[in-house]
Amino acid sequence: MDTNIRIAGEAGQGVQTAGDLLVEAFSAMGLHLLSSQSYMSRVRGGLNWFDVRIGDREVLAPREDVDLLIALHEDALTHLRDTVNPDGLIVYDGEAEGTVALHFDGVAQEVGGQVIMANAVAAGAVFGVLGYDVAELVDYLGSVFAKKGAEVVAANAACARRGAELMAAHAGRLQGPAPGSGPRTSVDGARAVALGACTAGLKLAAAYPMSPSTAVLNAIAGYSEQFGILVEQAEDEIAAINIICGATYAGAPAMLTTSGGGFALMAEGLSLAGMLELPAVILLAMRPGPATGLPTRTGQEDLRFVISAGHGEFPRFVFAPGDVTQAYALTRHALAVAHEYQTPAFILTDQYLVDLHATCAPLEAAPRPIDRGLVAAGADYVRYALTDSGISPRAIPGGDAIVMADSDEHTEDGHVTEDLSVRVQMVDKRLRKEAGMCAAALPPTAYRAEDADTLLVCWGSTYGACREAVDLLRDDGRGTSPRPTVGMLHFGQVWPLNADAVRAAIGRRERVVVIEGNARGQFASVLREIGALTDCETMAKYDGLPFTAREIVRRLSHE
Amino acid sequence: MSDTQMWGAGLRSDGPVKPAWCPGCGNYAIVKAVDRALDEAGLDRRRVVLVSGIGQAAKLPHYVSRPVNFFNGLHGRAVPAATGIKLANHTLEVIITSGDGDMYGEGGNHLLHAIRRNIGLKCFVHNNQIYGLTKGQASPTSDAGTHTKLQAYGVAAQPLNPLALAIAEGASFVARSFTGLPDHLPQTMVAALQQPGFALLDILQPCITFNKLNTFKWYQDRVRPLGDDYDPTDRLRALETALVWGDEIPVGVLYRADRPSYESKLPVLASGPLAAP
Ligand SMILES: Cc1ncc(C[n+]2csc(CCOP(=O)(O)OP(=O)(O)O)c2C)c(N)n1
Ligand code: SF4
Repeated sequence: MDTNIRIAGEAGQGVQTAGDLLVEAFSAMGLHLLSSQSYMSRVRGGLNWFDVRIGDREVLAPREDVDLLIALHEDALTHLRDTVNPDGLIVYDGEAEGTVALHFDGVAQEVGGQVIMANAVAAGAVFGVLGYDVAELVDYLGSVFAKKGAEVVAANAACARRGAELMAAHAGRLQGPAPGSGPRTSVDGARAVALGACTAGLKLAAAYPMSPSTAVLNAIAGYSEQFGILVEQAEDEIAAINIICGATYAGAPAMLTTSGGGFALMAEGLSLAGMLELPAVILLAMRPGPATGLPTRTGQEDLRFVISAGHGEFPRFVFAPGDVTQAYALTRHALAVAHEYQTPAFILTDQYLVDLHATCAPLEAAPRPIDRGLVAAGADYVRYALTDSGISPRAIPGGDAIVMADSDEHTEDGHVTEDLSVRVQMVDKRLRKEAGMCAAALPPTAYRAEDADTLLVCWGSTYGACREAVDLLRDDGRGTSPRPTVGMLHFGQVWPLNADAVRAAIGRRERVVVIEGNARGQFASVLREIGALTDCETMAKYDGLPFTAREIVRRLSHE
Repeated sequence: MSDTQMWGAGLRSDGPVKPAWCPGCGNYAIVKAVDRALDEAGLDRRRVVLVSGIGQAAKLPHYVSRPVNFFNGLHGRAVPAATGIKLANHTLEVIITSGDGDMYGEGGNHLLHAIRRNIGLKCFVHNNQIYGLTKGQASPTSDAGTHTKLQAYGVAAQPLNPLALAIAEGASFVARSFTGLPDHLPQTMVAALQQPGFALLDILQPCITFNKLNTFKWYQDRVRPLGDDYDPTDRLRALETALVWGDEIPVGVLYRADRPSYESKLPVLASGPLAAP
């Protein structure tokens, strides 16, 4: 059983604040939830909305249809009333047919004294309609506003209570899912990445701001004092990646955050990290392109770019987390393997995952630093020793070893060389790492795949919608007969891949559909290229919005 | 004097690295001066990192007499790479040694922001007023009217004045020297090394192959060391001095200010380097 609540209004009307209130209050009540946002690229005006989907079991993805719409503005009503289910309810800040009127600002002023408390009124109304005890919300308001003093707490509480009271006539009209037995942890994608990096021993983050990656940078900054991390706003993206290169050369685990256009400027610096064999970690939160594209929307369009960016040939890792738990774990893993193999690693995510907020098992917040793989060395140290694994013993400057690193092709001791046989040895050494990287590649996660005739293949944040689609198809057989046997494979590591393992996981199926947020089936083409897949269909989405389960079900049945 | 004699002392004695510079190039004097300055400043080379971009000048770290840590990065990007190193381990002495194209052209934006931060990097710019490695195109400091293969009608833009720019921006140490001043150059480097924040040292360096205008003699005839009565803490006077370029070219420490370094203002670095175990 689950309920989808949508709060919509202009930018600047507190849509996000009201949404955040609900998220926190619901997690405190032990509900499962997932919130997602749709916003326009502007600071005021436009039409933004915030969805909170709550359930009595795990909620994996956003829903396109709405049970309860809180429309703070006329545009929100006009544009979104069709998304509301026939048995749903609309609470509107005005008079309109088929809606329940509630003047959020007016009520706030009346009982709380201030318009900014309109979001507490809205949250109270949601509690009222769903038949939840508003005391739970009031408790939560008390804890967040405690610092601001008793007066603010009391005013917000009054707003919430009044919001709920005014819904008395509609109370319980929508039955909310049953609360759990204790509070649940909830986290947003950006914080999950940041916490993963911070607990792994990150010491320096550099970036030039760009949506949607900035959320991650802000989150790291939020943890910086606790974990002793330096957050540096670089003068531009080129500086950011070169700062990371310098910092990792000197021995500090370092990472940058960026999005498509910013990363486009970093290709040469990435190549430098490849040449100098630096454990540079790059978080790239995708948004649709080309160029500035849709700044506040989502997509999975940069996979091929990230896999091939940089001139010359060098190994790299690309991880694409599917949910907040993976965002935490794969970020830690990215830092670990970047250091183990001394080569760049990407966390390739997107606006949808970075901004979503979901309940999950508690994330370990105690520092558990990764191994930097440093050796103590003396005067005869050479940085680029030729080894069978391609991995050379790594020392950093400041100790007894002298560490020489050059972007030109270099000898084992790091000096420029134009000896072409050394060149070949060095390319081979760097590329030799790929054997180890492929062998240790994380296998895809299978879900109800064993007996599946139809296999859905996805990567990154498409995970939740895909998994829910599998459940819908298997358990409800929705829209199809006979009921298809559907399963899925999700890739959290998208590069490099172990072709044999992938081929085995895909196996023989009647139908393989690769589902991804781009127009050209980029991941499908990667799978074909490495020989892991021959025949497949692709399901493409590039309208700037995340997949939903119903959309996948619909398109599977009708395409 | 043979070329080897001329720059022999500046070569690594223990390694295979032979300079890829033209015999007679001003860069040889700079590598010698760097060697001397490191020794005179009493620096342990294990605690020094030389950072460079790309260009003839940027090859310097390979040629010092005894090995030193170095990071020879990308064209124009010595400053951010050095910034990363300094932030990761602020106990290291991080010295940038690179060309005018590298620092004032491709890397111009980074230079501005290093000055703004006042991060403790020492930046030695080999200013030969030309692009050497790419064979003789104009650099941001080429005199107006300079003819090259590329600037066939002469350089139409006016030259960038790095010293005036740095002083105007409030850099904490701004100096100029010349490769023809065998004591002045290392001494000025040592002075730069003693400054806590960002130090810019512009070094006039003849490129005998591509710059036929600003030759060794051309510089020698014009260079005038600042007198003992010169007060480097007077910013307006410094700016005035920086604007002098022509028959006379002042050299020495033009400007110096007491500004705390960037790294000293970052609380997270107070407990030790980020790169510590
Ligand atoms: C991104 C990039 N652009 C261009 C080049 C080519 N390039 C190499 S050195 C150089 C100019 C170097 O001039 P300068 O810094 O004055 O050094 P010099 O060779 O005169 O010592 C250029 C343009 C490059 N290596 N990388
Ligand atoms: S080209 Fe000019 S700068 Fe380069 S080595 Fe020759 S003389 Fe020196």
